[in-house]
Amino acid sequence: MCPVLSHLDGRFESADAEAEHRIAVLYQEFGGPLLRHIRKSTGNDLQWAEDVVQETIVRAWRNSARLQWEPSLIWAWLLTVARRIVIDGRRRRSVRPHEVEPPEVDMLAVPDGSERALSAIVVAEALRSLSEEHREVIEQTYLRDRTISEAAEILGIPPGTVKSRLYYGIRALREHLRDKGVAG
Amino acid sequence: MHEEVAAYALGVLDEEDIEAFERHLDGCESCRRELKEFAEVPGQLDELKHLPSASEDDPPRSMSR
Repeated sequence: MCPVLSHLDGRFESADAEAEHRIAVLYQEFGGPLLRHIRKSTGNDLQWAEDVVQETIVRAWRNSARLQWEPSLIWAWLLTVARRIVIDGRRRRSVRPHEVEPPEVDMLAVPDGSERALSAIVVAEALRSLSEEHREVIEQTYLRDRTISEAAEILGIPPGTVKSRLYYGIRALREHLRDKGVAG
Repeated sequence: MHEEVAAYALGVLDEEDIEAFERHLDGCESCRRELKEFAEVPGQLDELKHLPSASEDDPPRSMSR
């Protein structure tokens, strides 16, 4: 059952009250986990991470059709929304994540069971195990905060090819991590 | 369209393609399943951002022999 949507019908005197309640429930369900995830990609900048979570929740609230999805899919979707907000923010700030002070070690610990603590070494190894074409598109998109079309231009290949390589590259990365016992 | 799920999950799909992909997602069970699976990937890749820039493999120039 999706707690986000349960018992919302007909209980509110006004649309505003319902909206307020819906946002509160979204925060309650997803706010904490989102903050933990996003904090990593903001270089542990808590204020920025909180702003990202807030904007993500507001965008989610505007998109009530997607809140009909099952919670695990809502979660996956919220992460994509949050990532885009982080990437946009990073561009505006022109801050590269690796130029930020490394976070305290205890901040890297992942307290909830939904994600396992992974060492950067294992992920780096997984990336190295990929074919050059697969590794290249992951580096030129996500790791450099570039969109598909921007990476396509830099690599001199069609956007469709970038999408396709990224898809198979990510699948290969997942398989490698799974073989190492660190992913799903 | 299916292959866009990776770009979407990583947040690197171009703005103008997002809406069309989300519409596709509404009716595509396999993409929904893969989105849930790929949702972990950005967090895993973010681990790399915590790698010290000077690794054993790649010493800074000033420290090379």
